[in-house]
Amino acid sequence: MNSLHTYLFIALVLFCIGLFGLLKRRSLIGMLISVELMLNGAGLNFMAFNRFLAPDPAVGQVAVLFIMGIAAAEAAIALSLILALFRKIRSVNVEQARQLKG
Amino acid sequence: MDPVAPNGNELLLALLAMGLPLLSFFLVFFVTRPWVNLSCAVSLVCSGLPLSAAVWLLAGHWRMEAPILWQLTWMEGGGALVTFGFLLDPLSLLMLVIVTAVSFLVQVYSLGYMAGDPGKAKYYAFLSLFAWSMISLVLASGLMQLYIFWELVGLSSYLLIGFWHHKFSASQAGKKAFVMTRLGDLGFFLGIIVLLLNLGDLSILGLNQQAAARLTPGLLTASALLIFCGVVGKSAQFPLLTWLPDAMEGPTPVSALLHSATMVAAGVYLVSRLFPFYQGSPQALGWVLVIGTVTMLLSSTMAMVAEDIKQVWAYSTVSQLGFMLMGLGAGGYFAGVYHLATHAAFKALLFLCSGVFIHQYATNDFFAMARAGARGLKVPMLTLTLAGAALSGVWPLAGFFSKETVLAALAELPNPAWLWLGILGAGLTAYYTFRLLFVMWRPRRLEPPPEHGERAGHGAHEGHGAAVYWVMAAPLLVLAALTVLLGAAGPALQSFLAWGRPLPAGAHHTWLVWASVLVVATGAGLAWLEFGRAGAAQQGFLSRMPGLWNLFANRWYLDWLYRWLLDHVVYGLFSRLFTLNDRRVVDGGIDGFCRATLGAGWLFSLLQSGLLQYNLFTMVLVMALVGLYFLLV
Repeated sequence: MNSLHTYLFIALVLFCIGLFGLLKRRSLIGMLISVELMLNGAGLNFMAFNRFLAPDPAVGQVAVLFIMGIAAAEAAIALSLILALFRKIRSVNVEQARQLKG
Repeated sequence: MDPVAPNGNELLLALLAMGLPLLSFFLVFFVTRPWVNLSCAVSLVCSGLPLSAAVWLLAGHWRMEAPILWQLTWMEGGGALVTFGFLLDPLSLLMLVIVTAVSFLVQVYSLGYMAGDPGKAKYYAFLSLFAWSMISLVLASGLMQLYIFWELVGLSSYLLIGFWHHKFSASQAGKKAFVMTRLGDLGFFLGIIVLLLNLGDLSILGLNQQAAARLTPGLLTASALLIFCGVVGKSAQFPLLTWLPDAMEGPTPVSALLHSATMVAAGVYLVSRLFPFYQGSPQALGWVLVIGTVTMLLSSTMAMVAEDIKQVWAYSTVSQLGFMLMGLGAGGYFAGVYHLATHAAFKALLFLCSGVFIHQYATNDFFAMARAGARGLKVPMLTLTLAGAALSGVWPLAGFFSKETVLAALAELPNPAWLWLGILGAGLTAYYTFRLLFVMWRPRRLEPPPEHGERAGHGAHEGHGAAVYWVMAAPLLVLAALTVLLGAAGPALQSFLAWGRPLPAGAHHTWLVWASVLVVATGAGLAWLEFGRAGAAQQGFLSRMPGLWNLFANRWYLDWLYRWLLDHVVYGLFSRLFTLNDRRVVDGGIDGFCRATLGAGWLFSLLQSGLLQYNLFTMVLVMALVGLYFLLV
């Protein structure tokens, strides 16, 4: 049970759940959460490969730390965008934000 | 006959003659224009010195045996050589003297005629430009150089004809002159290209000596005729003759210059210049003869009904140019050149005399001039009579002798019709000239000169002092002397032009002299009956034939024909097609392109639903497919 494939499978599941949520949810907050899930799936992948394949235990952890930092920054930017959008259309539903329709 | 290089003296004199008027143009136009008297002085000096140089050169080479050639290579390549330089031979020397003399006299005369005109300095600048172009045209050693100055002559005559450009008719006349001569010049240029492509040598000596041997007869005729198109435009021959009568909208001294030595003379000069070349193609010479004859008869008839003094002389210029071309076309090289020389003298005289009357009475109608007492002005009246008599060919004036040589050349032709047409033309010339002279001498009733207001364009008429009168009269006396003397100079000129060789003994037709004297006397007598004798109605026989009168007075409806061609062919056909092309093809193409871009944009914008998730879904799908592709391939 304690093998690379297990972790990779869990990471895949996490990523797919995130992707599904990103495509399915109409709320921007939900979409943001889904993006975080996808990022964590990718981070888990890094950790698993690092643990089982790489000789140097530090490389993967550095990458994951970067991902976490970027995710925090991304969350801040996304939330501020969402706030700005909310001020404009009083909603966080993407179905309401269709001004760019051709 | 191989050309020789000029010695230092000749080089200096020729370059002086070619350069000074240009210098004067730049000086007057850009520097001294605000100081009118200084400008006139500069211009006079710069046209007097070339005259002295020309006379000096002519006198020094009276017995020249080989042409003097000086040239620099201008363009070379592909077997073609274009040079720039000057060529001195009897023809160009004679013509150089004529051009410089007439332009100098006209400049002196203009001192009086243009006195008080606000644009006098500019006028002198243009006169210098005109003189420079014509002198350089005359001395040109190659056809390309000649063509450049040919166009410059056209440009400067355009500037001078339209000198009083605030007058609508003057600016129209300038444009007409420019466009109609350009029409002929198109042919001239094509002719030059034909020669350049097939011969590669545009030098005048080369063309005259080798063209007949090196070109096929068809090409020779074609290029000769194309070059003749330029002559037709420049010398106002049929069918491009109506610009010259309109060109008298310019100041009268300009008309004198234009009609005698420069501009229109350039056409006849070109044919004489390339005479051996033309002789290589009998068909081309035949066309020269035909065009000359048609023009001469047509414009003589127009002159018979004109009531504007300058217009009479303008038609007569056209007809005399036709007469010269008849002489050349009949193979009479000397006849054409001699008539060109004598015509330059008496036609300049005629216009300058008319200028005095126009300046004095502010009208162009010679009936009105006569009534206002024109015969009181003794010098212009006597010189006008002298020049008119020379024009109609009265013994012993210059016109008589040159007309006789042309008629003698025509008599050499196998077909006697040409000779009879020539004699008929001489009779018509005598009729219209004496019509004018009798009207001027014997006005029906004298009127006190009307209080004329300022006529548009004639500048100030104040200050008709004796000084102005004599400044204008002095050139008249000089030209009158020339008109008398040139008649006696015929044989000397003939041997000069023939390089001093013994002349071919042409048959001498005594009967021809009597026939032409008889015809001239008939024309003059008819004019006497209708205009001269006491109690004459002063109405020509043509006024009893309204049909003919209208035909002649409307210039055989040539202008109407041009207008019709312009309206229906140029505007109605070509302009319409070009407009259609512009609207449909050019504009339509650009519009179509824009519409296609817009349509494509609209089509692609349908893909944009505005919902974020569709975009995301497409992105994921594409990435997945790309991933699959890399996985499998």
